[in-house]
Amino acid sequence: TLSPSSAASDVYKRQVYEKVCRYCHEANVGPVLKGRALPEEYIRRVVRLGNRAMPAFRPSEIDDATLADVARRVSAGAALARE
Amino acid sequence: MSSKSKALPKGISAAEFDKAVRELRAIVGDEHVIVDDDKLAPYRKIMMPVPEEQHELSASVMPDGVEQIQRVMKVANKYRVPVYPVSTGKNLGYGSAAPVQRGQIVMDLRRMNRIIEVDADLCTALVEPGVTYQQLYDYLQEHKLPLWFSCPAPSAIAGPVGNMVDRGVGYTPYGEHFLFSCGMEVVLADGQVLRTGMGAMENSNTWQVFKWGYGPTLDGIFTQSNFGVVTKMGMWLMPAPPDFRPFCIQYPDEADITKIVEALRPLRIAMVIPNAVVIAHTLWEAPCTPVKRADYHTGPGAISDEAVKRIQKDHDIGAWNVYAGLYGTKETNDANWKIIEAVAAATGGRIITQEASKGSKALEYRFDLMKGKPNLGEFGLYNWRGGGGSIWFAPVSQAKGAETLKQMQMAKTILAKYGFDYVGEFIVGWRDMHHVIDLLYDRSDETQMKNAYACYDELLHTFAKEGYGMYRANTAFAEKVAATYGPVKRDVEKRLKKALDPNNIIAPGRCGISL
Repeated sequence: TLSPSSAASDVYKRQVYEKVCRYCHEANVGPVLKGRALPEEYIRRVVRLGNRAMPAFRPSEIDDATLADVARRVSAGAALARE
Repeated sequence: MSSKSKALPKGISAAEFDKAVRELRAIVGDEHVIVDDDKLAPYRKIMMPVPEEQHELSASVMPDGVEQIQRVMKVANKYRVPVYPVSTGKNLGYGSAAPVQRGQIVMDLRRMNRIIEVDADLCTALVEPGVTYQQLYDYLQEHKLPLWFSCPAPSAIAGPVGNMVDRGVGYTPYGEHFLFSCGMEVVLADGQVLRTGMGAMENSNTWQVFKWGYGPTLDGIFTQSNFGVVTKMGMWLMPAPPDFRPFCIQYPDEADITKIVEALRPLRIAMVIPNAVVIAHTLWEAPCTPVKRADYHTGPGAISDEAVKRIQKDHDIGAWNVYAGLYGTKETNDANWKIIEAVAAATGGRIITQEASKGSKALEYRFDLMKGKPNLGEFGLYNWRGGGGSIWFAPVSQAKGAETLKQMQMAKTILAKYGFDYVGEFIVGWRDMHHVIDLLYDRSDETQMKNAYACYDELLHTFAKEGYGMYRANTAFAEKVAATYGPVKRDVEKRLKKALDPNNIIAPGRCGISL
């Protein structure tokens, strides 16, 4: 059974918030991000540099274009009902 | 491109380094070599109590295949530049993705993320280093394959190859990951590609089913070492059982650890409880619940026993919290459940079933990990003190009650001396325990950082004096931990290193091995 990496990474790009960020940022580990209108640049910097308890993520994990896309969507996203 | 202010590999001039980088770019493409200081930032993030400069990398190179790695090896040998391979690079508390020595080039294998094969009949997988557990989970779901893997707590972002290569552990019956790996592919320093076990044979179809092959079995020498770059790994998967029954047993007193371990050992050795059981202390549970440390303790010093008691009472957490599961059919689990109930009753433990666990974050993430479902619930640990400071102090113990109590008390005393809390758990093998203690400190606080370093140092050497060794350690302490295992072992490792990597180009310093 073969899984072409390109297909896998397309899925990843679309779902990176759900598959990575959400595990902490909607689970009382990291702060809620959705709907806080955080500047995209701030999100990008925290992801690349890490921030105290939060690990950093490399371009090999999340490329610049995908990160920009995630930052844009998180920044513009509707507020979570909770918290 | 300028390498003036950068960390350069030991003994390499800026001009030579630039030449090496140019050749690496020609192999993997310009965009897959990073030398720019800003862009290297993610590799620099560490949780260890040493300055980042100590583990500063000179560059990152991201090959996307075995053939590219072979060519990278040629360049590394030509210029004598060391490369430090990482897979998913999420070795948090053990050094993360930063190299063991300043100036090394990180060889980042995250792009190599192909799931090469899953055999649903034999329950095996063959994967590349960049595959994450989340990716494998999604693959199995998507293909409706009733197969489970075992993963560590950072599952969603970590992966099987990197974890196994550092001999990490998980929480299902397949929790001892190296034990359940089968077949490796390794690029050696001279560029040759070695397949271990049955993989060495042309046309073999048994690489992922029989571990040993013929003659010396070499897989072990490529774990916690620097004798090659692991580019593929076979792993055994567990058939999803018809009935999975996770549970927690809570105990009220710290001293209960003695009877817990005595009661569990026969059940583990006889495989009535088949999975890698966890016995977690209150302060491991608390931050994952989540409970705030500041609500119970402010100011300097370790949290008091009295405050820990209050946390237990306020949040319904045991002094010790045993997590285990039954895996089988309804009938076999019903039969074994009676044994569990009897043992809990005899030892004064309170059972919490899955039904009764609803609403508890700490229990939910444990129950998920015991069936290999990725989550990051345990990262709550890093909020206990906050500030991004964490190293794992992880001595091995016999699975005997008196031993675990002794280790716990030794660790707690030393931690308190430096103002840190005992945040520990025992991961129960058949006869061994990985006694895993999270040395949590605020890395933004200079004093705590110094204290954390001194504390680990004292823990390491006090435990070594009692004959207790680490199963795994962070890169800042690689040399010191290697020293506790004695000179003969190190000499043999050095001779192997010399034979396989005479130019010392693969991660020199890893686990204390260097020419």
